[in-house]
Amino acid sequence: MPYWYYDKKDLQNTPSFRDGIPTDTENRYRKEGARFIIDTGSKMDLGYNTVATGVVYFHRFYMFHSFRTFPRYITACCCLFLAGKVEETPKKCKDIIKVAKSLLTEQKFATFGEDPKEEVMTLERILLQTIKFDLQVEHPYGYLLKYAKCLKGDKAKLQKMVQMAWTFVNDSLCTTLCLQWEPEVIAVALMFLAGKLSKFEVVDWNGRAPKHTAWWDMFVEDITMELLEDICHQMPYPVYSGPPPNHTNIPPPPRLPMTGPPPPLGGGMYSEPPPGPPSRFPPVNVPPPNYFPPPPGPPPRPYYQPP
Amino acid sequence: MQNVSAPREPTQPVLSTSSTILSMREKEKYIEDFDFPFCDESSKYEKVAKIGQGTFGEVFKARARNTSKKFVAMKKVLMDNEKEGFPITALREIKILQLLKHENVVNLIEICRTKATLHNKYRSTFYLVFDFCEHDLAGLLSNVNVKFSLGEIKKVMQQLLNGLYYIHSNKILHRDMKAANVLITKNGILKLADFGLARAFSVAKSGTVNKYTNRVVTLWYRPPELLLGTTVFQGPTEQQQLILISQLCGSCTPDERLKPYVKDPYGCDLLDKLLQLDPAKRNDADTALNHDFFWTDPMPCELANMLAQHTQSMFEYLAPPRRPGHLRHHHHVPGPQAKPSQPQDSTYQDRVF
Repeated sequence: MPYWYYDKKDLQNTPSFRDGIPTDTENRYRKEGARFIIDTGSKMDLGYNTVATGVVYFHRFYMFHSFRTFPRYITACCCLFLAGKVEETPKKCKDIIKVAKSLLTEQKFATFGEDPKEEVMTLERILLQTIKFDLQVEHPYGYLLKYAKCLKGDKAKLQKMVQMAWTFVNDSLCTTLCLQWEPEVIAVALMFLAGKLSKFEVVDWNGRAPKHTAWWDMFVEDITMELLEDICHQMPYPVYSGPPPNHTNIPPPPRLPMTGPPPPLGGGMYSEPPPGPPSRFPPVNVPPPNYFPPPPGPPPRPYYQPP
Repeated sequence: MQNVSAPREPTQPVLSTSSTILSMREKEKYIEDFDFPFCDESSKYEKVAKIGQGTFGEVFKARARNTSKKFVAMKKVLMDNEKEGFPITALREIKILQLLKHENVVNLIEICRTKATLHNKYRSTFYLVFDFCEHDLAGLLSNVNVKFSLGEIKKVMQQLLNGLYYIHSNKILHRDMKAANVLITKNGILKLADFGLARAFSVAKSGTVNKYTNRVVTLWYRPPELLLGTTVFQGPTEQQQLILISQLCGSCTPDERLKPYVKDPYGCDLLDKLLQLDPAKRNDADTALNHDFFWTDPMPCELANMLAQHTQSMFEYLAPPRRPGHLRHHHHVPGPQAKPSQPQDSTYQDRVF
């Protein structure tokens, strides 16, 4: 199987970059493509697993091809189409295209060509070859729930933390984190972030051994604080102030202990901030200043600001 | 990419108002020239002979053109009539084969492609490439010159159950178990093959029942609960099949009827337990492997010596028909193509099991 993880240098020197597309433009394209897959998938009632698989295909695809060669929205449709079949939630190609058309401007939909379905069919073969038929993709969601089950403490606070971490995992799909770290590591980092922001300090957990200094040592070895902070700072908003205040549709949190199926993927937070009165979900409490100092360089742009 | 027979001028405003996006022709050239690092061209193998017809395409024996000269089996992914792109059944087979790595399961080496050119409208054909196995069980059984000793029969049965135990432990149902899908190498290693109808199963969650189609398994080998199942498509074919079975066996309790044909009492008892009408009482692979049949003399023994006497490959596909006029493809589950009365639109749903 191919190795799908890249270091930061590789993520700079992509086919798009070599093709003359600046890195921040590429990152915006990736974000827009991922968000489009999430929106299309949510609108078609596809589960978070199918959507996340489609997004991972999308990010992997553009490690081999340029956004100049393959416009992002049709690739996104193709990734969702394939992910639907792979995750046993197939959707007809024409239905995906119909939803895509309803979500895109006429100008953007024009990139689908004269016969959109035929375009997707041809693209599917290119996608399959590009991802080496490595169809099965794991996501942080399952690990999140597995880890949460082991943590001890106030149930309500734990619940709140898991809900927040779940939202972070959704948001992480718009970043290249899935090209850098295994889903286990992302799950640990985003649960760590959620713990900090929801003021839930994990002091004890089932299976704790003397050699463990933190709960995640039980699941993944050699996770450093630097690594966790690096991952948290790649989230598409300044993490020291929590997720943006436009959470209109936070997905229902997984119930603990888990009985039913995990919550559906919320689509609302990928929409533009609603105008008018502040949303019902205020920003999460701000941790002590400088707990997550902003990374060096210009201050990160809030993700919802139009580029 | 579409309408390639009449190439368009690259200046045509095909894709976008953005000048940065490639024209159609540039893209075609790009696809033709792109050297997919993970997906080799099928021309690295040389076809030798057609050896079978899988659930979604032809199977060929082929030889590597490199110095290894290794033999492989290439299974073509048939996509001509697919409205929904790469078939979901082929995707399942690939996923399952990537997951299953066991001595008694056929080994998928890689997936190859033909080059995308103007000639094939820039659409590659795909092949699943497997380690080559010299025989299949149906081919061996149909050859009167091949005689299995009881120890060898036990070895075949044991390997079959070992493979089945492994795939079931991985939550995979084969759904097309039959002699033609049981391969045996010249060294006597048995491999379960053709996962074209297979799929993963999940243990039913509380309050829900997992529903799968009963339209699986070559008719001859369907268990009674699938023949009698309550899902769609109950028709004369299944009933006819039941009548045939009961006419042959007299009843659905095989034990007494089997005795004259199966001399070994342990073997007869094992068969009886594997053919229990009630699926809850039927032996699973693990229980069957613990049966005295495998742990009494003559013990299971290697097949390699017996097979060494035969230098020719034996496949059901290549074997002479058992009866004149009896076409081989008749024992396959009739695909949707066989039912032209169905509206075209239902084709896809029909194939999603």
